[in-house]
Amino acid sequence: MAHKTPPRFVVRTLIATLATVAFVLSAVLLVVTLSVRGRVRDGVVDKLGTGQRLLGALEERRADELRAQVATLAENSTLKAALDTYQTELQTTSPAGRQDLVTTIKGELKKLVDRIQPDVLEVRDPSGTLLAVAGRLADEWPAAGRLHAAHADADATVVTTTAGVFRIATVPVTLQGTKLGTLGLANALDERYALELSDLSGARTLILSGDRVIASTLPPEPVMALTPEVIRAMAMNDVVPLGGSDYAVKRLLQQGTAQVYVLDSIDASARPVVQGALRTMGGIALGAFALAGLASVWLSRTIARPIDTLSASLSGMTRTRDFDHPLLPGGDSLEVDTLTAAFNTMMQSVKAAEAETLSAYLGTIRALALALDARDPYTAGHSERVSAVSLAIGRCMSLDETELEVLRLGALLHDIGKIGISDHVLMKPGPLTDEEYEMIKQHPGVGARILRSVPFLEPHIPIVELHHERPDGKGYPHGLRGTEIPLVATIVHVADAFDAMTSARAYRPALDTSEGLRELWRCAGSQFDAEVVQALARVLPSIDLSAANTETRLKRVAGPVSLRALRA
Amino acid sequence: MPSKIRELITEMCARVPYQPPAVLLMVTCALLAAYPAVGRAVPAYGRITGIVHLVALGGAPLRSGAYPSRQVNRKTPEAAEIANVVVFVKDAPVESNLPVTRVGISQRDEAFVPRVSAITRASTVEFPNFDSYFHNVFSLSRGATFDLGRFRKGEKRERTFPRAGVIKVYCHIHSEMAATIMVFDHRLYATPAADGVFAISDVPPGTYQLSAWHERIGETTKAIQVVAGESASIEFSLPVVDR
Repeated sequence: MAHKTPPRFVVRTLIATLATVAFVLSAVLLVVTLSVRGRVRDGVVDKLGTGQRLLGALEERRADELRAQVATLAENSTLKAALDTYQTELQTTSPAGRQDLVTTIKGELKKLVDRIQPDVLEVRDPSGTLLAVAGRLADEWPAAGRLHAAHADADATVVTTTAGVFRIATVPVTLQGTKLGTLGLANALDERYALELSDLSGARTLILSGDRVIASTLPPEPVMALTPEVIRAMAMNDVVPLGGSDYAVKRLLQQGTAQVYVLDSIDASARPVVQGALRTMGGIALGAFALAGLASVWLSRTIARPIDTLSASLSGMTRTRDFDHPLLPGGDSLEVDTLTAAFNTMMQSVKAAEAETLSAYLGTIRALALALDARDPYTAGHSERVSAVSLAIGRCMSLDETELEVLRLGALLHDIGKIGISDHVLMKPGPLTDEEYEMIKQHPGVGARILRSVPFLEPHIPIVELHHERPDGKGYPHGLRGTEIPLVATIVHVADAFDAMTSARAYRPALDTSEGLRELWRCAGSQFDAEVVQALARVLPSIDLSAANTETRLKRVAGPVSLRALRA
Repeated sequence: MPSKIRELITEMCARVPYQPPAVLLMVTCALLAAYPAVGRAVPAYGRITGIVHLVALGGAPLRSGAYPSRQVNRKTPEAAEIANVVVFVKDAPVESNLPVTRVGISQRDEAFVPRVSAITRASTVEFPNFDSYFHNVFSLSRGATFDLGRFRKGEKRERTFPRAGVIKVYCHIHSEMAATIMVFDHRLYATPAADGVFAISDVPPGTYQLSAWHERIGETTKAIQVVAGESASIEFSLPVVDR
């Protein structure tokens, strides 16, 4: 089963910080966008209002200029002369002659038109009949009908004709107090005019005649959306929805059926402002994210690094099993330092407890071994001496500390299995029967079984179980050979034999150490491991004295194990 | 000789325009005095006498143009409207051997003075400039289309009119200036005096269309029968506002 690894601290801080920043930025963005749109809407309506007033004034001036222009044109002496001559000769000449005079009038009109480029310049006789017309849109100009009879002379107004919507100014042409006719100057309120208004106002323009769109600078969609209802709404409201977008709208002019509106899309105006704000916000957001990321990484590092250091030292301690040196406080974080100190204190108590437990164990085991030894006065101190000799041999053979410790305790306990052998077999002064010998041979297995019940003593089992095996395979209980026998077991085997030989028994006296060593040498290679015997020979001088001392002391007391002997 | 008598009478008539009874008396006396001669030679011509009334009700004349001319401040008073009337026989026979005259139309105070002139064919009209600024004379009329150019004070331009017709002349510089020259193929025309009385002599007997022309309302025509040696009289009422 795959265990899910929890995320690192830095991931969590990053997620938390960046999510917060993102949320705050989104909220700010929303607020900014809404407020920008609202402001832009007000601004657009305001701007259109100003534009309306300005363009209204401009339109007034245009009308005045048109009036002034047509009044000036009416004072053109040649036009007047042509018109007057036409009126004078009207009664006397033939239709052909009249046509000539009309042509003269038209010629004069054309000259004027060339100079001022109006859309339409027309002349009517005093009865209102059109005499001549010239200008850019002359061909479309309705010839029949009294176009602007309803309007006073010398007035400017907006009329709707079949040719479109026109602003027209008319003025009577008089000569010496007589009205010769009427001169009319008209400019179309068409696409060109709409474009011009758009340029001036910076907004869209819409020219309507009734519900009919005459000209517009709007995009096609809003124009399609112009229903009569919308047009009525435009007259009432400042803002109308048009083709999916809100338009601020102001009426510039209304005369007759003709209406001129300026419009501005609020969305289109808001877009650049919002985009600008978004760009700025984007920059800020980038900076905020980077700062937040850096800050959270730094913060998480200040927390995580001491912890990492701590756990690294802990795992180092575990790996090297070096619990003696206390952890050093990192100095980065008070909390982590407190934790370190607490850990050190805990380690000390644990170590103290462990040492106590260990010494209690050792004391128990030693007591057990001594109790065993004490059953037989001849073997008193045997386990202690075997342990000391084994340790000396092990040191000589460069065993490491762990093996030496195993050796020391193992040697101390090597005969623990003899606890199950009855006293009369164990302390029998004479030679053993085969049966009795078989019983003796049971003791390594019994010892091993006893030790197996204590997990702490597990490393010492081989010593207890195999300390009677021989390199030539004639040992017991398994009859292992040479290298099959652990070194520690062979060491204890040699030390055991040596101590047995140099100790007195009921049935024989103690051998001299050199005799014992000689005996060992004799059997080296077959019964004993030669290297171990050699090591014993090398270390014997240094342990001889203490071993002899113990021996003499024990011999003198010749009773239960004293406290002094236990300590030694 | 009879022609001299006629001229004398005409001149007499023209010189005493304010006393129609006196004129009639004088005419009668003259006729009586001439009677023995008539007996000797039957008179071949009749005569037309009459009076023109301007009858329109008063009213404000139209404001004249966008830029009122200096007429508002003119020093010399404007001539009476009656001066702008010409009475003529519309269907008079063309005279081949016409005496020519030379008349003047001054340019004074931004106006042509007089505004209406009547001349015989091939007569010459002089246009002297009395204003301290430039003037011009041009015409678009079918009878005579011309442009005499611009000229300063003290200078004058002239033009002979070889064809009969109504000629309107204007000034390019001053759009309110206009004058009418009526060129006739005969001598059967007259300009009424200030009181509207006019007389046309040496009219061959017959029935004629007699027209009274005014620059604003054009012709008003009436039929008249002229008997040799007699004077036919007529009266016109023109709807013109007299200023």
